[in-house]
Amino acid sequence: MSFLSLILKNLVRQRVRTALTVLGISIGITTVVALGVVTDSLKATSGEILQLGDADFMVAQEGAADLSFSILPQDSVSALLEQPGVESAEGMLFHVARVGSNPYFFLIGREHSGLAARPPHLIAGKVWQAGATDEILLGKRAADDLAAGVGDTISIEDRPLTVSGIYQTGRLLEDGGAYAPLGVVQEIAGRSGVVTAVFVSVSEGADPAEVGQSIEEQFPGLASIVEVGDYSEVDQGIQFLDAANLAISVLAVGIGAIGVMNTMIMSVFERTREIGIFRAVGWSGRRILRMIITESLILCVVAAFVGSALGILAIRAILLIDVIRNVLEPQYGAEVFVRALVVAVVVALAGAAYPAFRAVRLTPMEALRYE
Amino acid sequence: MSERRHAIQVRGLVKSFERGRINALNGVDLDVGEGEFVAIVGPSGCGKSTLLHLIAALDRPDEGTIDVFGHELQTGRRLDHYRARDVGLVFQLDNLIPSLSASENVQVPMFEAPYSGHERTRRADERLAQVGLTGKGRSRPPQLSGGERQRVAIARALANDPPLLLADEPTGRLDSASGLRILDLLEDLRNQRQLTIVLVTHEQAVAERADRIVEMLDGRVRQRTEVSPGSTTVA
Repeated sequence: MSFLSLILKNLVRQRVRTALTVLGISIGITTVVALGVVTDSLKATSGEILQLGDADFMVAQEGAADLSFSILPQDSVSALLEQPGVESAEGMLFHVARVGSNPYFFLIGREHSGLAARPPHLIAGKVWQAGATDEILLGKRAADDLAAGVGDTISIEDRPLTVSGIYQTGRLLEDGGAYAPLGVVQEIAGRSGVVTAVFVSVSEGADPAEVGQSIEEQFPGLASIVEVGDYSEVDQGIQFLDAANLAISVLAVGIGAIGVMNTMIMSVFERTREIGIFRAVGWSGRRILRMIITESLILCVVAAFVGSALGILAIRAILLIDVIRNVLEPQYGAEVFVRALVVAVVVALAGAAYPAFRAVRLTPMEALRYE
Repeated sequence: MSERRHAIQVRGLVKSFERGRINALNGVDLDVGEGEFVAIVGPSGCGKSTLLHLIAALDRPDEGTIDVFGHELQTGRRLDHYRARDVGLVFQLDNLIPSLSASENVQVPMFEAPYSGHERTRRADERLAQVGLTGKGRSRPPQLSGGERQRVAIARALANDPPLLLADEPTGRLDSASGLRILDLLEDLRNQRQLTIVLVTHEQAVAERADRIVEMLDGRVRQRTEVSPGSTTVA
């Protein structure tokens, strides 16, 4: 018999209690995993925006509650073009509209020159004509969703637009939306003369981070987004999600620890006499401590695996909803599962601390006399 | 006894409970020689079990000294190690763990010794064979008779080959036939392994199986009696 098998026997003999404890902790872990995957997926979707127009970085309005609320005057594009290290700058206007079954149809307004210079990967048709006011370049997912092909007409907020081409980038938001002439999108969005963000490409040899920093110093009120981590400067939604994630992790630890402590205290009380026998035959306090903490760790690590599996199932379940599927491509990053495991280990140690302390403090005679 | 080396030397042992309201031991002196079989007898509450628990290092004395094979137990140092290696304990209640098999119960003290899992299993089988329980290793305590459970408890007490066996009323809950078999087993083990045995009992017939009887009353040693086949000598 190994020490581990002795510990497993302790857990197995109270099957129902062990199972309920694992389930209780698993629910907390499920929440941590599911919210973590959602947050990472939304960050990844946000990161996709950075890749629009193959630019090096994006400039948007600092402190906007959401990137789509960012407003920059269209003439800021020419001002940015004059900055040292900037090779090209292109303003784009984002507008989210309900189109077909997708309430988050991502419409991107671009100048013909910018789109023609850096078009997305076309799989059918072509970029609209310069000066066109009734054409649109449709993403593959959107085309499938709308059953639209080149030459068909779709309606966005009652404005009929003819599909000039279909593109596919592999990026959820882009493929689920469309490119339309900037002026057309400004009319649809009721935002004439403004863009949401400016996409900047730097000159050869220039450092995007340094150029971005210089723009921020030159234009207070603008924020440069070089990588996904910078998003919080222009999108507080990501910050809120991160905060919610942390809060849920802390709650999961707190609630989980109470559950584990309850289980372990009951287990230690029930086994007081048994602990006395272990002490009487020579077990050290350290071994008793190891036994109780390992029991707790096993409970919580099993709960971490069960909770992670349930978290993945929960994500798959919510992806059955069209609205969510159109904005969320699940990102099962290792970091989420490591966080779940860390939460589980913290729960295990916090929950076992007092019961273990109590068990170790018992003298053999106190424990043997316990009825 | 005078030629034997001391296994246990107790001097001026005092122990009280409930903040001094109950005086269990009032200055006990006791010497046990190596390989000796000593029975401690006396009425309930005379302090015989308390004395045994102090020698087993399950509790600490208020005053006095206990030296067991050179371990000064009153200092409180390395008592876990002492309990694991130097002393085997048999209680009136077998104190086996019901969820573990007989073999696993015997292996419990071995976790504090440097044995591998395989070695623990092998040694447990050997100990069970020594107490006449070959083939019963996989049985759980509820599946065994009272006498068999007490044999498992003796096998557990011998798990790490201690030189000292302390038994607190080991036959107290057994029928007379089972009790006799346990006493025969203790005697055999003493002879085979040169064990020092201290046994607490309130049964005179059980005590007379020992080399020497120590009679206690009101927390003190009242009388020491040498036992020899057919006669006893009061000291």
